[in-house]
Amino acid sequence: MTSSIARRRLLAGAAAAPFLAACGGGASDGVGSDGTVTVELWHGQSDTGRKAVEALVAEFNRTHPRIRVDSAGGGVLSDAMLQKVTAALASGSYPDIAYIFGSDLASIARSPRVVDLTSALHAGPTPWRSLWAPVREGVTVNGRVRAAPALLDSLAVVYNRKLFRQAGVDFPRAGWTWDEFADTARRLTAPGRGVFGTGWPGTGDEDTVWRLWPMIWDLGGDVVAADGKHIGFADQGVRALETLARLSRDKSVYVDPKPSGEQMYQVFMAGRMAMVGTGPWQLPDIIGAGVDYDVVPLPTYSGRPVTISGPDTWTVFDNGSARSRAAVEFVRWMMRPAQDARWDLSAGSLPLSSATADRPEWRLHSRRTRGLDVFTEALGSARVRPVHAAYPQISQALGEAIVSVLLGKDSPAGALRRCAQRSDAALLIPR
Amino acid sequence: MSTLPRAITLAPQAAVPPAAARRAARRRARRETATAWGFIGPAVVVILGLGIVPVLWSLLLSFRADDLVTPGRWVGLDNYRALAEDPGFHTAVRNTLLYTALYVPLSLVGGLALALALNRRLRLIGLYRTLVFIPFVVSATAQGVLFSFILDPEFGVANSLLHQLGISPQGFLSDPDQAIYLLVLISLWSGVGFCVVVYLAALQDVPPELVESARIDGAGRALILRHIVLPTLTPVTVFLLLWQVITALQVFDLIYVTTKGGPLGSTTVVVYFVWQQAFQTFTAGYGAAAAYVLAVALMVVGAALRVVRRRQSRTEGVVR
Repeated sequence: MTSSIARRRLLAGAAAAPFLAACGGGASDGVGSDGTVTVELWHGQSDTGRKAVEALVAEFNRTHPRIRVDSAGGGVLSDAMLQKVTAALASGSYPDIAYIFGSDLASIARSPRVVDLTSALHAGPTPWRSLWAPVREGVTVNGRVRAAPALLDSLAVVYNRKLFRQAGVDFPRAGWTWDEFADTARRLTAPGRGVFGTGWPGTGDEDTVWRLWPMIWDLGGDVVAADGKHIGFADQGVRALETLARLSRDKSVYVDPKPSGEQMYQVFMAGRMAMVGTGPWQLPDIIGAGVDYDVVPLPTYSGRPVTISGPDTWTVFDNGSARSRAAVEFVRWMMRPAQDARWDLSAGSLPLSSATADRPEWRLHSRRTRGLDVFTEALGSARVRPVHAAYPQISQALGEAIVSVLLGKDSPAGALRRCAQRSDAALLIPR
Repeated sequence: MSTLPRAITLAPQAAVPPAAARRAARRRARRETATAWGFIGPAVVVILGLGIVPVLWSLLLSFRADDLVTPGRWVGLDNYRALAEDPGFHTAVRNTLLYTALYVPLSLVGGLALALALNRRLRLIGLYRTLVFIPFVVSATAQGVLFSFILDPEFGVANSLLHQLGISPQGFLSDPDQAIYLLVLISLWSGVGFCVVVYLAALQDVPPELVESARIDGAGRALILRHIVLPTLTPVTVFLLLWQVITALQVFDLIYVTTKGGPLGSTTVVVYFVWQQAFQTFTAGYGAAAAYVLAVALMVVGAALRVVRRRQSRTEGVVR
């Protein structure tokens, strides 16, 4: 009898355990009985990035005995982070810190759960003014700092020197134009050998779209017009798309049909693509593939250098004051030059601040990695996408326009007209 | 007390007062109920938590303007009105119907043909049956990745085969005019296997004496198939029809990994549209409304098939 009662208790206890554990995750203020605060981090990194984050988290936990950052949670890669965090916010059980793409920050920052970091970062250990301008703009929504910068990149052209030598074409130089780019791509295309001049992601997602903004900005356009009711690239977009139409007519562009643009880089690393627009995060893989490469700034129409930067963020969510304070402490610690430099070296990010860029380990790394300085210097002329709530719809509409031009299904003018109709409709929605 | 002579084979029962007996019975029943609930409780919690509650919650969501991150507001039927006007949704419905109209009949016909071919005594027949069924076990994600490689316009096997045959290279999944048909083919590659297995099981139920007597009466293969085999398979066919329609209307994972609804929206189906509304453009209420339109369509399909079956079972006896 007693044994059966004991067993029943045990079973009841075992059945209840998961529920208790589940309650322990979100509802409490995260302060354990010994006074340590547990902070849940969804970093979304894979491979090298994951190793780097976990090493930094381990060091933080060692040096901050009152805080324990748990980086095992989430189980989600950064590409799907927006969906995962949205669902988590809807269910009311969300992490303390998540890795959110810069282009998604406006959508997430509408949530009242997102902690306002304005005072925390302005008065933080890393001087606010020492951060690059694109970094500061990329984490600011409506004048408030809504996230901490996590990763910085910029767009430039990586080219395969071997293919240029084989074709007897001069290496591209800074200050080149989009016309020269299209000419070069045409001359380097060799259908017989399966070699393409360049590539472009062809699914119409953000990776398809963000490469066009530098072209539009260079021509004097903008994402949203000054009145806020229309797109700001009705004419400039047509001209930018005409460059793509030319690449498509010359059959010199490989349009990557797969989501994530991985295939395009595979083609480049297999030595079958002469030039690819990419960021510094791709360099470790390109070096690993043994490609004889170099980097050159993006071409322009005007001769004035311009590029795009897509800073990603550590967004902090409010799970009670103890946990948010600990989370803020962690993201501020991650931004410090020493940690930032370690993260940059392993994850392929650029330095967030001039203080990091001056550190000896970054300088050495930059000297050793061919072309990395081109990406860093481009930050001086980098702009960021506006943190605007209608941006996802504009991006979707422009993505379709770009793909229809790349596939030769529509003229630049026609494609952009339809994009403008859809985007303007989205801009009318009160937000 | 009864005055009947007591049977000597029964042990004399202690006279229990009826109230106590009732109490004991109630206690027993309570204990049994508790045990029963103990057994089915976990399943009930799972079904309620993961099935019923979300369904009701998303119904409420479809009447709200909600982005899942900020407090929403009640808008009544506005989401449904907007759906009726939305060309993007119309395209999604058209794509879904096209996909279903191709996938369902082809998978049924293909499944039946293969099942008839495999329903005989051959050497290694078990191996053939296994090979036909294997694609069904492969996850849609893996299929998508596999076929993306095969159908890559520049570096895929498919185009190099076409090149050998002297056919010009195709765009495949990056061609808006081909993508949806290719997705139907990829789905058939796995979906037919399921129909084959179900039909193979059903073919065991065809009465051999009927087949034999028909043969003696001089009926050929075609006649036997038409008048004996197919009528026997009717209930199974109806089940498969319903099952495959539901599968086809809900297709999502394959599209998510191969084309993401592209190129140019040519493969955006209803479920993908729902996903886009909820997680890309932050109009979750609108997405929920689209999901409910699909749910109602599925219910209508299911109900219509039930009605047809009832009619048939009533008339079947008369015909025979």
